[in-house]
Amino acid sequence: MDFGLRIHRKDCVGCHACEVACKQQHDLPPGADLIRILEKIPSFEPVYCRHCARPPCLEACPSEAISREKGAVLLEAQKCIGCKACIEACPFNAIGFDLEREVAVKCDMCLKERVLQGEKPACATVCPSRCIEFSGLQEMFARPWV
Amino acid sequence: MAEIQKIRTACRSCHGGCGVIAHVQDGRLLKVEPDPDSPISEGTLCSKALAIKQLVYHPKRVTSPLKKLQGRWVKVSWDEALETVVGKFKEIIEQSGPEAICIGQGTGRDYESFLYRFANLLGTPNVITAGHMCYVSRIGASLVTCGNLPVCDYDGKPALVMVWANNAPWTNPDEYKGTKLIKAIQQGAKLITVDPRRVYLAQRADLHLQLRPGTDAALALGMLHVIIQENLYDQEFVSNFVHGWELFRQRVLEWPLDKVEGITWVPRQKIAAAARMYARTKPACIQWGVPIEQTLNCTDANRLLIGLMALTGNLDMQGGNVFFVPPRVRTVSDVALHKALPKEQREKMLGARQNKLAARVALVSPKHVWDAITKGEPYKIRGMLLCGTNPVITRANSREVYKALSQVEFLATIDFFLTPTAELGQVFLPGATWIEQDYVGDFWKRHGYVVARNKCVTVGECKQDHEIFMLLGKKMGQNQWWKNMEEALDYMLEPSGLKWSQFKEMGYLKGEMEYRKYASKGFSTPTGKVELYCTTFEKWGYDPLPTYREIPESPYSTPELMEKYPYILTTGQRIPVFFHSANRQIPWLREIRPEPICEIHPETAARHGIQNGDWVWISSPRGKIKQRAKLTDILDPKVVAAEHGWWYPEMEEPGHGFDVSNVNILTDNDPAHYDKPMGATNLRVLVCNIQKCSEGE
Repeated sequence: MDFGLRIHRKDCVGCHACEVACKQQHDLPPGADLIRILEKIPSFEPVYCRHCARPPCLEACPSEAISREKGAVLLEAQKCIGCKACIEACPFNAIGFDLEREVAVKCDMCLKERVLQGEKPACATVCPSRCIEFSGLQEMFARPWV
Repeated sequence: MAEIQKIRTACRSCHGGCGVIAHVQDGRLLKVEPDPDSPISEGTLCSKALAIKQLVYHPKRVTSPLKKLQGRWVKVSWDEALETVVGKFKEIIEQSGPEAICIGQGTGRDYESFLYRFANLLGTPNVITAGHMCYVSRIGASLVTCGNLPVCDYDGKPALVMVWANNAPWTNPDEYKGTKLIKAIQQGAKLITVDPRRVYLAQRADLHLQLRPGTDAALALGMLHVIIQENLYDQEFVSNFVHGWELFRQRVLEWPLDKVEGITWVPRQKIAAAARMYARTKPACIQWGVPIEQTLNCTDANRLLIGLMALTGNLDMQGGNVFFVPPRVRTVSDVALHKALPKEQREKMLGARQNKLAARVALVSPKHVWDAITKGEPYKIRGMLLCGTNPVITRANSREVYKALSQVEFLATIDFFLTPTAELGQVFLPGATWIEQDYVGDFWKRHGYVVARNKCVTVGECKQDHEIFMLLGKKMGQNQWWKNMEEALDYMLEPSGLKWSQFKEMGYLKGEMEYRKYASKGFSTPTGKVELYCTTFEKWGYDPLPTYREIPESPYSTPELMEKYPYILTTGQRIPVFFHSANRQIPWLREIRPEPICEIHPETAARHGIQNGDWVWISSPRGKIKQRAKLTDILDPKVVAAEHGWWYPEMEEPGHGFDVSNVNILTDNDPAHYDKPMGATNLRVLVCNIQKCSEGE
C-alpha cells in the first residue's frame, strides 16, 4: 500500500512543533530541514515534501540516491554525492542539506523507523491542530481536501 | 545495550503539564514522544518539549555546584556550596533578621510550594515571583471577587470562546493547552478575539476587536454597558448571586460606547456586536491571557472580565468559566506552610502596605526589593536565593535590576545555565530539568488534575529544586522537612490514599467535577456572592468598583512625550519555541527564531526608511535596544510590537548581551504607575520611537 502525507494549511497554527519533532526523529543539525513552517503572519506556509508520483528530484539525481517506496520518495545518504541537483530540481523547496555530512536530506515519511512499525510520522503525531494528515494514499483521496 | 525503556512522565518546559513518553536506554534519554492518553495534551507536544534532549545534554549546561572565588567560577562539592549559602544566611539572620533575605522564583516550575516552605520556615516574608503581573494577579483578583479562579471548560463544549489577549496555540497557558481551544473552534464554537495584533486566531474569528494596547478594562466596561443597557444579562443570577449590583451597574453606565471607542479605538458597532454575541451564545467562556495583567489596570481588568462571566451566567456553568474541583491531595498552603511565618515577620513584608492584594497572595512586587538593596529602604536586603529566574531579562527596567543584583551582598541561584542573572551571584546550584525529577506535577494549578512527573534520567550532579530547598532547609536547622523526596511526595498524596510508588504508575488523578457549586455553597467571598462591589477592597481602602485608568505613557496621558516617542510600543508577544528568557541556547529552537523580531506597520516603516529584515533601534524614555524589523499590517500604524526575553548565550562576557535586544531595558517600573493592589508593572504598553540602525551598529 502507498502512503500519503498532506498538510491542511488553513489549520496550521505556526507552532513549529512538527519541525522539532522531525529534527528529533532524524537527529539532524540546524539547517538540515525536512519540514519548515514559514511565518507569513497572520497565517503560515508549510514547506514540505509532496512525495511526487514523478519526482523531479529523483530524475535530477545523477547518483541514483533517490528512489520511491510505498508512496515515499527516499534519499539514501550513502549514495548521495552532495551535488544539490535534487535541491535545485524540487519545485517545493523541500529538500535540505546537512553541512556536517555534506549530503542532501529529505523527508522519508518516517517510513522505515515508524510507519512500517505501525506508527504515524513524527510530525503528524505532535501537531496540536491535527493539520498534518497521514494515511494510505487511496484512503486520503477518498476524503475532500478541506 | 539494554532494552529501550518507555517512561511516562509530564513536561514542564512551560506551563502545560503535557503527557510525555520518554525513551531511555542505558540511562540516557533518546527521545520524547507525546502521551496519547494525557487528558491535558491529548497526544500532542510542542517544540519546547520535543527539544528537551538538547537542554538536558547541552554542552554549556552547568552540572555541578559552582562558587565564585576571586571573580572566577570554581567547581565545588554540594556540601560546600550549600554550607556557603547556609553560613551566609545564618550570619544575615543573626545580624539583620530573616527579612533581610529575599527568596525569588520566575514563572513557576512546580517547585513554588517547596520554595515558599523554605522561605516561611526561614522567617522571611520577602518572596518575589512573576506573580505580581502574571497569573497570581489573576488568582488574587478572582479570590476577592468570586472566591476561585474561573477557567475555560473546553471539555464542557463551549458554544463560543472569547479569546481575550491570548495566543493559546503558541503559549499553552496555565490551565489548558492550545489544542483544546483549537479543537473547540474546529468543532464549530464561535470565536471572538481581542488583540492589538490581528494574529492567526483573529483570522478565524467571527469578530476581532483590535484594541489600543492596554485598554482592555475600558473595552470590558463598554461590553458590560451594552449587556446592561440591552438587558442581556442573567437577571436571576444577578439578583441571587451578585453583591453590589446597583453600584456596579451605575459604574458601568459611566462608560458609554462613544467614550469607550475613543479610548480603545474599537468601533462602537463592533463592541456592541461582540457584547451581544457573547451574551446571547450559551455556554460561552473567556480564554483570558496575561497581557491584561501587565498594566496599571491589572486587577480591575481581571475583575471586569469576571463581571462579564457573572452577568452572562457563565460562571461555573458547563462550557463556561468554571471552578474545577481538585483531586484529593494536599493543598498548596499545606506544603508551603504559610501559617509557619510568624505574624511579626509577615508585617515586615516589603510593599505590603502599598500592594495589599500582593501581600494577601504572599508576594512582593520586585521594585520594592531593588530599592531595599540599593537604598536600604525601609531596610536592607542583604542576601538572595533565586530559583529558575532571570530577572535581569524578564523584569521591568532591566538596568535597575542589573544594578541591584550587582550590589546585593550575597546572591545564590538555582538554574541550568550561567544566565546574565546567575553570573552576578556568588554560588550556583545546578537544578534538574523536569525529565530528571519525581514530582506530583500541576499540583498548584486549578484545572482539576495532578500529573505524575517521573524521573527518567540523571545528569551530572544536578538535583531537583525541591530537594535543594529541602537540603538547605535542613542545614538551616528547619525541622519540618521530610526524610527524602519519596516521603515528601507521599505526604502530598496522602488524602488520596495513594503512595507515590502507586501514583507514579497511574499517570494522573482527576478531581470529580460538579458544576454550579454556588447554588448550594455560595461563592467563597465575605458575602458568599460574586462581589462586583468588592468588600475586601472597601476594607483595604481601594476603589471597591472596577474602572479603567489611562495608561501612564500614552498619547493621552503624556502628549508632551509624543514628539520624541510618537509610537505606542507593545511588548511580549509570544514566541512558540521559547519560554520567556529560556531556550535561546537550544539549537533546534534557536534555528527557528534566530533573532528578535519587532513588528512595524509598512506605512510606519516607510516613513523611517526601514525595510523588512533591517536592524532597528527602538527607544523609550529609559533607553534603546535593537531588534529585526518585520513589516506587517496586522497592527495599527501607530503601534510597534517588540519581543521580550532576549539575551545572547553565545556572547561570552558575563552580561551575555542583556542590554542589546532586551525589551525590559525600555520598560518602566516607577511605582507611581503600578496597579495599586498587586504592584503590577506596565510591561505591555509604553511609548517609543524607531530608527534604522546604521551600517555596523
